[in-house]
Amino acid sequence: MRAFLAGARVQLRFMVAYPDSLIPFFTAPLFTIVFMLVFKHAGRQDLTAYAAIAPVFIALWWLALFNSGWTITTERWNGTLEMLVAAPSSFGAVIFGRIAATTAVGTLSFFEAWIVARLIFGATVTIHHWGAFVLTAFATLAAMAGTAVGMAALFVLARNAVTFSNSASYPFYVLGGILVPVSLLPHWVRPLSAVVFLSWSADLLRATLDAAPIHDFWPHLGMVVLLGACGYAVGLAALRVILVRVRGSGELSTT
Amino acid sequence: MSTVRVVWYSVLSGANDYWSIFTLKSWVFGWVIRVVSQVTFFALIGTLLQSEAQTNFLLVGNAVMVAGMGATFALHQPTSERGNGTLSLLLASPSRPVVVMLARGLYVVADAIWSALLGLAIVGPAFGLEFPWPRALLVIPLTALVGISAYCFSTFLAGVIIAHRNINNLVVNTTIVALMALCGVNVPVSYFPDWLERIVELLPITDGLEAIRGVLAGDPWSSVAAHVGGELLAASGWLAIALLTFGRFIRAGQRDGSLEFAS
Repeated sequence: MRAFLAGARVQLRFMVAYPDSLIPFFTAPLFTIVFMLVFKHAGRQDLTAYAAIAPVFIALWWLALFNSGWTITTERWNGTLEMLVAAPSSFGAVIFGRIAATTAVGTLSFFEAWIVARLIFGATVTIHHWGAFVLTAFATLAAMAGTAVGMAALFVLARNAVTFSNSASYPFYVLGGILVPVSLLPHWVRPLSAVVFLSWSADLLRATLDAAPIHDFWPHLGMVVLLGACGYAVGLAALRVILVRVRGSGELSTT
Repeated sequence: MSTVRVVWYSVLSGANDYWSIFTLKSWVFGWVIRVVSQVTFFALIGTLLQSEAQTNFLLVGNAVMVAGMGATFALHQPTSERGNGTLSLLLASPSRPVVVMLARGLYVVADAIWSALLGLAIVGPAFGLEFPWPRALLVIPLTALVGISAYCFSTFLAGVIIAHRNINNLVVNTTIVALMALCGVNVPVSYFPDWLERIVELLPITDGLEAIRGVLAGDPWSSVAAHVGGELLAASGWLAIALLTFGRFIRAGQRDGSLEFAS
């Protein structure tokens, strides 16, 4: 727990020191404008909830993806990765603390997107199922952080984690149905979407903004939690294996 | 003649940079998949709207936007020169820094243009987009024009932020999404208020994209030519501003010491 909190504290300081880490808070309102413009131009104000939810997922995914990627890369650049690995604290806990802190800060994008929708387009986002919304949002944040730990494990071995990060945005936006529901994707894509937690949480979050009753809430929420937990477990296990391997082969500081 | 040599070696250097970033495998399975997904993501909005016209509009707009996006990535270049500690050597040399910067980034633009065309060629048929033959061939040089135009704009921005390396990624990302919002990529610029439409016409991409849409829709050549002229004007305007200001930004940075390696 101390390692987790220490990681979270360090990450928050990094975010304050490096404006580049705040990118999603500048792009989330712009993405909201793009999506709202498209829906308003098409005369589909009924899709406001879609336009308000998607930028939040983009911001959260970006934060988790790029912070986990950059965490390892900057540790390598700074020559501190060896010290972090050699320290008695859990490497995974420190990394998870950093990712979790970033993801938690990402919740600000909820407010940004909704304020932009309100102020620029006069659209109101109404939460019709508060309990379900809070539970889904919390599960989504946890799953986002857990999945990012899994990615961080991959990034340890990646020669250029940023190249990987840059490529892993839109494929997951499509598979995760963050704007266009998975039900509109071709049938052959849907099994892939089913193992991406974004698809379950995006459906749920949109449903909480709709007055209609939510069907199968608990099974859907369970899938978000399960897939996030899988990402975290795989990440931790992979980190252990990878660290043993790179310590043995001396590849740890190879950049 | 010496300028041609500088340009040639800058292009070679840029190409070497490029292949140190990507292998063929990471380019195909990383970058190309990302580009295809990006175009698909926006084209799917048309499916959500149950409108073939919207699907085609969003697909073409966002495929061409890849050229503008890639060209905007060239903003990273001057700051990476600083990060590598080579900017001071470049400034001390008798060559004009802006010439080196412009030439070094040509590989980025070429990649951006190629990626945009690839995105259009792969995703277009999947969504039933028709390419009228042979006029669709004009999309190739027009996409190149859009990429070059956006590159001129990003070179100007590179000069503006050269002394502020810590906000480089922020400027790149916000510029890309702002261009997506404003340049007629997702909604026609005629949808904006008049004052905004006038401003947007000064930006890169806007007219070039209109020309491409016109080519695909079978618009009269006079209309296409007018938009091509508009994009050429935008490109040359931003290039002129970049050439005029880049040196000033560099000299200002030299005076106040803000171009040092470590900042």
